[in-house]
Amino acid sequence: MDLPPYYPINDFGPAMKGIVIGGLGIFHVFLAMFAIGGGMLLCYFEWLGQTGRCPGAKKFVDGYFKAVVLVSFIVGAITGVAMWFTSIQVSPRTIGFMVHEFHWIWAIEWTFFSLEISSGYLFYRYGPKLTDVARLRLLATYAIASWFSLFWINGILSWQLTPGSWGDIGADTHSVWGGFFNAGFFPSLIFRTITAMTVASLAAMVIINLMPLDRAGKTDLINKSAHLLAPMIAMPVLGAWWTATMPADARATLFANIVMLMFLGMAVGSSVLIGLYAYFGLIRQRMYINGPTATLLTVLAFVATAGGEFVREGVRKPFTARAGLYSTSFTQVELDRLRQVGCVTNDPYPLQNADAYPSDQLRLGAKVFRFHCSVCHTYDGANAVLHLAGSWTPDQQRLNIAQLQRTKTFMPPFGGTPEELEALVQLIRWKSDGSPEAWPVSDDEATLAQIQAWLDEVGTRPGIELIHGGGAAEGGH
Amino acid sequence: MNSPFPFGFPGPTAFYLTLYLVTFLIHALFMNYVLAGSSVLAVGAVLRRDTGPISALLRDWLPFMLSMAITAGVAPLLFIQILFREQFYTANLLLFHRWMSILPVLMIGFYLCYLLKSKMVRDWPLIARVAVGCGPFLCFGFVGWSWVENHLLSVQSAETWQRQYEAGTLVFRSAELIPRLALWFVAAFPTLALLLGWQLHVTQKEDDGWERADAARRVAIMGLAGLVLMAIAAGIYVGLMEATSRDAVLGPIAAPYFVVWMIGATAQGAVWALTLKSGRLGTRSLAIATAGLTAAFFGMAVVREATRLGRLDLESLYAKHEQATRVGGFWLFLFFLVVNGAIIAYSVRLSLTARRPDADEPEGETMPDEAKPEAGASS
Ligand code: HEC
Ligand code: HEM
Repeated sequence: MDLPPYYPINDFGPAMKGIVIGGLGIFHVFLAMFAIGGGMLLCYFEWLGQTGRCPGAKKFVDGYFKAVVLVSFIVGAITGVAMWFTSIQVSPRTIGFMVHEFHWIWAIEWTFFSLEISSGYLFYRYGPKLTDVARLRLLATYAIASWFSLFWINGILSWQLTPGSWGDIGADTHSVWGGFFNAGFFPSLIFRTITAMTVASLAAMVIINLMPLDRAGKTDLINKSAHLLAPMIAMPVLGAWWTATMPADARATLFANIVMLMFLGMAVGSSVLIGLYAYFGLIRQRMYINGPTATLLTVLAFVATAGGEFVREGVRKPFTARAGLYSTSFTQVELDRLRQVGCVTNDPYPLQNADAYPSDQLRLGAKVFRFHCSVCHTYDGANAVLHLAGSWTPDQQRLNIAQLQRTKTFMPPFGGTPEELEALVQLIRWKSDGSPEAWPVSDDEATLAQIQAWLDEVGTRPGIELIHGGGAAEGGH
Repeated sequence: MNSPFPFGFPGPTAFYLTLYLVTFLIHALFMNYVLAGSSVLAVGAVLRRDTGPISALLRDWLPFMLSMAITAGVAPLLFIQILFREQFYTANLLLFHRWMSILPVLMIGFYLCYLLKSKMVRDWPLIARVAVGCGPFLCFGFVGWSWVENHLLSVQSAETWQRQYEAGTLVFRSAELIPRLALWFVAAFPTLALLLGWQLHVTQKEDDGWERADAARRVAIMGLAGLVLMAIAAGIYVGLMEATSRDAVLGPIAAPYFVVWMIGATAQGAVWALTLKSGRLGTRSLAIATAGLTAAFFGMAVVREATRLGRLDLESLYAKHEQATRVGGFWLFLFFLVVNGAIIAYSVRLSLTARRPDADEPEGETMPDEAKPEAGASS
């Protein structure tokens, strides 16, 4: 046995699956941050208003809350469900595995989500009629509940990269709490909390500008909401802490890969700009900030979130769960097995356009690509295999695919037979040649033997081990 | 499978099935309000008869009820992934874009509900008003249809899945689709009638007797018509469904629940018939109808589940369910379920009682009963 489950795999056209999930993820995370930070900001302003420290605060609270409900309750909640559905589309094995291991954490999160929505609606509907004490209590309930939904989900997300004492995927028992409170838990929790405060504060400045207030009133509110930007000062330390908790090889990928560095640069650069503006403009000079500038800063925060999310998605490769699930939805044990029996021998799903291929070998190649490469590559869209490898010689293609984990450490080892690999190579050549009507079958014994030798030479352990030594598949460090 | 649910299943399977059913019912409660309620508004918009207290209540409460339907939908979504992971995921994957499209459609429906509630729309040209009035129902009807289609695809054989994938159609045609969807749609009306009944009862004032009697009778008609149509639709559906499902529905596992469903429906029917005569919604009759609906809901849920259980090779799933019970966190979940449920109840009370002295007292809107389903959302 030891075969992975087979699901019908969809073709996302020119889009890379990572981009799809990443893109939606950014959108959702940003909205969630707005809601979470919004809770804190509202509590702060309600208190300012009730204690007479800021006369315009109460009106602002009701206005801002409308924005939270209309934007975040609707789009936020639905994109949350969308995250789930998209994860199923991209990697059913991964999400299924995470749901299995952490379903009670998710169930706990759901109780907080229900509390958040209920208290939020109550405040939205009855807030203006309630006593001060009741208002503050409802707001605090809302803020605490929404922060806790971050708390719970953060444990699961950080576990993906640093499984901690949860153990290896193959083990019989796992410690849910060991995995939940993993090394990355606290740095990412605090980091995300500060991000939430930042997003909420910047969004508040946009909203304040839309309110019918005089200049002095607006300036006062803006300077008060800038207080939530102050914790940004801790971001560099938290970022460093988070990187320190990463497995060494993931850190190496982060700093050695140009695309990763670009995303990191996006995140850090935008945050620095916001931080500088906040410190000099808003906190020291107590300046006014107009609508367009506030919007620009909010966009920068969005860019930072985007960079951060792509880094988070990227550094996990070649795993979706570092505890031992490859991005290709198989475990180490299954990979060893697939090398012997073939990765698509047991795949029950036929091709969708089988007639388009002139031979069975090319059809086999297409199935191998679908199972083994399509989660990160397209043929000629984003991260296109034809562009990357189309012009190589046949033997270059064979060698580099046979030793996939050596070609790039963020690719998993090749989990298939020499025949499957040769079929994949022929498919790439056929497609690069413009998909002609006829294509010779390549079944030369010597070629297959050479592929087998290359496969044996590199083994089945992940590429990061070739550089960083053993144990990477067990979760690094 | 030869004894009534939940007996006849291994402990872990029965445990997750029960959790799934209970949370699904909470989803169904709000979903029914949204589905049937939006259709009432759509008809009102087309016939240009949307000024009465029922329309006003629906417009006012639809966004909130939708929010609750979504929030409550998350919990069964979680448990279905423990119980029927492969089936659910495969159906999702096969329907692909067509499945994912329910999310933007939900979002559009949501905003249309808010638009419908706003004063701005009242000054729009007729055609635009009708469009906004029908929009939410079209959206939610589409979402409901999609869930039914996804459900039916998820219980198919591996061969059907493969054929479906090969064809790449993204639409699953099944003879059961229309009757099952129709059943869901008409069965939503008794629920809507009851929730509206409570809402009207609570907001009732002394001096608007005639209008209220009229509204009460309308609610009663909704309930009665829903019950009658539900019986017809259920009969047709049972006749058309696949044999294995029918055997399960009429067999020992679900038969007692069928009876419970009938009894619950009869109780509701009696209440609505009396209301139709008297034009009055009393606390006692509403309480009886509530008990009836609760019984009918539980009965219906198990009967519905039997249509799935009858078709799957359940034994192959038992081991997975057993493994799931070995994962930690259940007791903490139970703890937070109770604590957060209590805080929700407290927040509702606070919102109803801690009014500022200068705040004008109970508006034309409703209250205590909406508080109830809310608290229910997590208990
Ligand atoms: C976990 C994701 C992932 C999987 C699975 C994966 N790749 Fe890659 N692959 C990448 C990334 C990311 C790159 C880097 C692209 C770049 O440098 O622009 C890459 C690069 C490549 C390259 C170019 C290498 C070079 O040195 O320029 C080839 C060829 C390639 N992949 C082939 C494959 C084939 C064939 C498969 C399936 C058997 C596969 N990959 C599976 C992520 C993956
Ligand atoms: C207005 C929006 C919605 C409507 C009208 C609706 C309607 C329905 C219907 C009719 C079913 C029954 C399907 C069947 O028995 O064949 C169903 C099931 C279900 N719904 Fe909803 N739904 C809505 C939104 C949601 C959302 C947003 C979620 C998730 C968060 C959700 C989660 C579920 C789940 C998990 C099931 C059970 C599926 C199964 O057992 O196969 N629903 N819904």
